[in-house]
Formats: sequence, structure tokens, C-alpha cells
Amino acid sequence: MKLLSSFKKELILVSRSFYFYVELGFALVILAVLLLAVPENFSTTATQYLYLDLPQAAKEMYVDTVLESEPGIESEMVEIEADGKMYDAQLITTDEEEIYIVDSEEAVRKLAYDKQNPGAVVGLDDNNQLNFKYYLQGYESTRLKNLISIMFNKDIGMLEEQIGSQEVRYLTTGFEPVSDRENTIPPIISFSSGLMGMFILASYIFLDKKEEVIKAYAVTASSVWQYLMSKIFVVSLTSVISGLIITMPVMGFRINYGLVLLLLLTTGFFSSSLGLLISSFYNDLMKAFGVIYLLMILFMVPAIAYFIPGWDPFWIKLIPTYPLMQGFKEIILSSGNIAYPLYASAGFLAGGIVLFAVTNIRFKKTLSV
Amino acid sequence: MLKRILNIFARDLKINSREFITLYMMIIPLVMAVGINFISPGINDTTVNLALVEDENPGQADYFDDFAHIELFEDRQEVEDRVMARDDVVGVLPEGGGYYILAQGNELESIVEYAKLLNVLYESDVQLEDARSEIIEFGRTVPPLKKRLVNMLLLLISMLAGMLIAMNILEEKMDKTVSAINVTPASRSAFILGKGFTGMFIAVVSSIACILITGFYDINIGQAALVIFSTTILSLIIGFLQGLNSNDIMEAAGSVKLLFLPLGGSVAGYEFVAEKWQAFFWWSPFYWAYKANDNILSKSGTWPQLLLYIGIILVICGVVYALLAPRIARKLQ
Repeated sequence: MKLLSSFKKELILVSRSFYFYVELGFALVILAVLLLAVPENFSTTATQYLYLDLPQAAKEMYVDTVLESEPGIESEMVEIEADGKMYDAQLITTDEEEIYIVDSEEAVRKLAYDKQNPGAVVGLDDNNQLNFKYYLQGYESTRLKNLISIMFNKDIGMLEEQIGSQEVRYLTTGFEPVSDRENTIPPIISFSSGLMGMFILASYIFLDKKEEVIKAYAVTASSVWQYLMSKIFVVSLTSVISGLIITMPVMGFRINYGLVLLLLLTTGFFSSSLGLLISSFYNDLMKAFGVIYLLMILFMVPAIAYFIPGWDPFWIKLIPTYPLMQGFKEIILSSGNIAYPLYASAGFLAGGIVLFAVTNIRFKKTLSV
Repeated sequence: MLKRILNIFARDLKINSREFITLYMMIIPLVMAVGINFISPGINDTTVNLALVEDENPGQADYFDDFAHIELFEDRQEVEDRVMARDDVVGVLPEGGGYYILAQGNELESIVEYAKLLNVLYESDVQLEDARSEIIEFGRTVPPLKKRLVNMLLLLISMLAGMLIAMNILEEKMDKTVSAINVTPASRSAFILGKGFTGMFIAVVSSIACILITGFYDINIGQAALVIFSTTILSLIIGFLQGLNSNDIMEAAGSVKLLFLPLGGSVAGYEFVAEKWQAFFWWSPFYWAYKANDNILSKSGTWPQLLLYIGIILVICGVVYALLAPRIARKLQ
């Protein structure tokens, strides 16, 4: 009852504060950006420059093969500039790449250097076999360079035939990828709701410390844990509302909102408890700034693994935002694994309870630092 | 005038060093720069991850190791479990004298194609020693992802500077000393500049240190310092206004969050949005700063280009200041 009363009071206070409206305004601005400025899918075409040092018939055959390999491939004559000089090129645009076929090796070299994209020269050796010269930047990994150096040791036609007949077995079927716009939601929610919960709650406590509200609690009938929990409820509620403002218009009713709520609430609880724990060690935000800031940066690192699924070292899985982002990803995927967000929520709840218990002990002992 | 500005700057620096906040603000970006050095080689080395059965064919594992990251497991079931894990790992398993590719079903098509190509090359006994291709390198050692991370770090530093300025102003407000400035010989402009100097000084010093830590020794530091300086002017204006508008740390914290939006949006817009849509981001000085830094870090920028970008940043800052100046003056009353 006292907890409910504290929660109500906090709600009234927060509804009058600038922060609450900034939070909601921020969610609305993100939503507007997502819907109006972020394209459904990002443009991720790779560019390369090619010089075919081959007889005219072979050049034409190569271009025809590329143009006929898929429907919708376009070709046009363009001029492209590198190092202050213009070069004529035939631009072939596919869904995944832009190939500029130029008239000299010099053009490939200049373009590859100036535009920082790979270039290649295809010629014939003494035995009339195709040979390849690649222009790379230098930072490409050794493994990638190894592959490039032997990729065309086999006859291209035979290679394509063998790759085509290579058996692939899939463990799951019916996977429908999400659009790039939808894919940006998990990291945004993680930073906006999860991360900021820690920062905001710590700021709340420091404000109360400054105004000596915490000490006033010592002479009330309410216990410290109720005071702390009411703060957590308010911050979690704010993150839930802002999270839903961003998620609902983009995802519609295609996802399980029960799971979204569960994950938002448990992560809100976890990050707020972490913010509380930090605030129990310092007197004001300025002193706690370093710890909070370092944690915020650390929590952002899993976003790299999120966008580069091939890079997933073990240590990154230990950072709490990793299961948070991946849990959201599972929720927005049509064929997502429901167990993952459930486990993640259970983990956040358990972690939050431990952090809260430790914080409660610290606050009970000191009432302040 | 200059002496008074420097006095305010020196006083802020002294107060901040007692609070450790200045130290934090200088050290945190450096720690992040070291972090970037730590993670970027691993990310750059990412091609494809393959899961194989241990001791089933050691020669094959050695072969694949030249082209991909290999993980070995005791039996098929363990390989299957690994493939089903959250990240993109593809299995290569034996059957009937050959090998098949085992995928989860949600990997990028290019990853499965890479694994197929490798297996075909292995089964065709194509060896590295027989390579017929020649590779010419330009000697660039900094991968694009590292360049992006450093660029983002530079923008973050200028934002931190804004935060520091906001907190300094807030402290003056809480100590009720803002209005006291009216009865000192220091003018309002001297107060604004003096207050802003701490953040700007820290931003420029930290940014240059980060550039050097991350290995960009051979870029034009003068160009970089100019861009950092111009971006920090915006942080100064925003930080000052946040500080004056906020009544407590909570409000300042909320406002800081708002700053992340144009910053994050500008970076995402520059990196991911197609050329024809880039114009939507021209209003953001962070967009121009990111673009200018990108040119500097790639060593592909020319002075006229750079001066144009800096000019745009300064014009936007000027417009923002012109719009906000009356408000700042009112708040300083």
C-alpha cells in the first residue's frame, strides 16, 4: 500500500517534470525519423572497377553474361572522376553491386586508390588462360586476400556449376528477414529505454540526495526499498511507454507485445537497479559521471555484433545489452525463437533483484553516502 | 576582455579538476580509442565462421583455416547446435565421400555462398601455392570500420564538451551565481566564452589524442582540429542553452539525450542512406562534421572541400546562435 502510494506520488511528480515530456518527445522524434527519413532498406551496393584486357569479342561476351545473369540488371555509359581526371566507363548496376568497366589499367588503379574500392584487371597469360590482377587497399584481411588469390584458379564456368550443385541443408525453414528499418528498432530501444534507465535513475537519486529527500525518508513510515522501488517503477513505466511509441507504429500488430512488455519491464528494472547501485556510491552525478559514462559506452558495443553477425566474440555476450538486442530481434522476427526473450527477461529480472537487494542494503546502512 | 575570459576559463578548469569531471572527460575518450584499437582487427578479420567435426579431416580444417574462422566440435550434433546458435556459423559435414553445407536458414546469402565456394575449392584441390592472381596493395592499414568508429568518437567528444558546459552553467545556477555576473566587470559575452572554453579546450585536446592513439598519425591534424573546433562551437551553444534552461540535473540529462538524435541520425544518414536522400541531412552540422572527418581520416579531402564543410557548420551554428541569443540573454538576466 505504501509502495503504491509512493508510486502514485512519483507518477504525479514525474508528470509535471520536463524530463517526462522530453522522454516522450524523444520517442516521437525517433518514430518520425524512422518512418520518414529511414528507408525501408539501406543502400548497400558494393562498387568495383574492372578493366578487361581481352579481345573485343571476349569483352562483349563477359558483359552480355553479366547482363543476362539476372533480370533487371542495367547498363549505361558514364563518366567517373578520380584524382581530377575524368574516365569513361560502362556502369553495370545489379542489386548488390556497381561495376565500372573502364578502358585502361591506369583508370582502374586511379579509381581504386581514389574511391577506396577494389579494382581488377582481367587479362590472358602466355597459355591463353585468364589471369587476374587485383588492386586492394591494404587493410583487407589475410584470409580474404587468400581467397581472392585462388578464387579463379578454376575455370569460371566449371566453378559456378560446382557451386550450384553444392548441397546445402537448412535446419530451419520459413525464415523471413526483417527490413532494415525494422532491424534498427532493437538497438534504438536498447539505448533509449534500457541504457537511459540507468542514467535517469541515477540522476533522480542524485537530485533527491541534493534536496535531502532521502534523509527525510528516515522519519517517514515508508521503508527505503519502497522509495527505491517506486522510482524504478516510474522509470520503467516511462521506458515502456517510449518503447511502445517507437515499436507499435513501425511493427504494427505483427509481433507479440506481451513479450515486448516483459522484456522492456525487466530490462528497465535491471538498468534502473544498476543506476541505483551506482548512485549509492557517490554524492552527485558529476562524481558518478565517469562510471555511468563508461558503462553506457560498454553497453553500446554489442550493437557492432548486432549489425555484423559474423563477429560475435564470447566476451560481448556477457554485456547485458547483447541479450536485450538479440531478444528484441527474436521478437520482431516472424520465425523468432520465443524462448530467447523469455530467458533474457528471466536473466534481467534475476540480475535486477540481486542488484536491488545489494542497493537496498547499502541505502539502509547509509541513507546517503 | 581576454583576461576576464581566461580568468573564467581558468576558474572552471580548476573547479572541474577538483570534481574529476574534466579528468573523466579527457580519459574516457582515450579509453574508448584504446577499445577501438582492441576490437577493430577482430572485426576486420571476419570472413565466415565454419564449424567442423574434430579429427574427421584435419587436412580440410587446416585448408579452411587459411580462408575462414574454424571451430571444431566432437560430433555432428555439436556442430548442429553451434550452427543453431545466434551468430552466423555454417557447418561443413561429411556424407558419402563428399561434404555438405549445414546452415541455420537465417544467414546472409553471401555467407552460405562463401562456404560453398570454399568447399568447392577444397574438393577441387585448389591450393594457395598455385595462385594465379596478382594482388597489388595501396598500403592503407586502417580498415573502414575503424575509421567510422573514430569519426563517431570525435563527434561524441564534441557532444561531451557541450554536456560539460551545460553542467558548469547548471552549477552556477544552483549556486545562484549566474545573476551575480551582472555586477562584475566581466561582460555577458566574456562569461559565455569563458564558460565555453573549458569544453572546447578539452574537446580539441582529447580529439587529437584519440586520433593519434588510433593510429591516424599521417592525417592532416590541422584540418582535423579545425573541424573539431567548429563542431564544438555548436556544442557550446547547445550546452549553454541546456544549462540555462534546466533547473536541475534531471532536466539537463533529458536534454542531453535529445542531442544524441541529430548526432546518431546524421551518422546513420551519411553511412546508410542512398545519395539521393542525403539532402535530408544537410541541416545537421553533425552531418557535415562527420563528412569532413571522413575526408580527413581517408586522406581524400582537399582544403577547398574542407573549408566549404567548415563554412556550412559555422553558418548553421551562426543561425542557431542568432535564434537562441535573445533567449540566452534573457536567461542571464
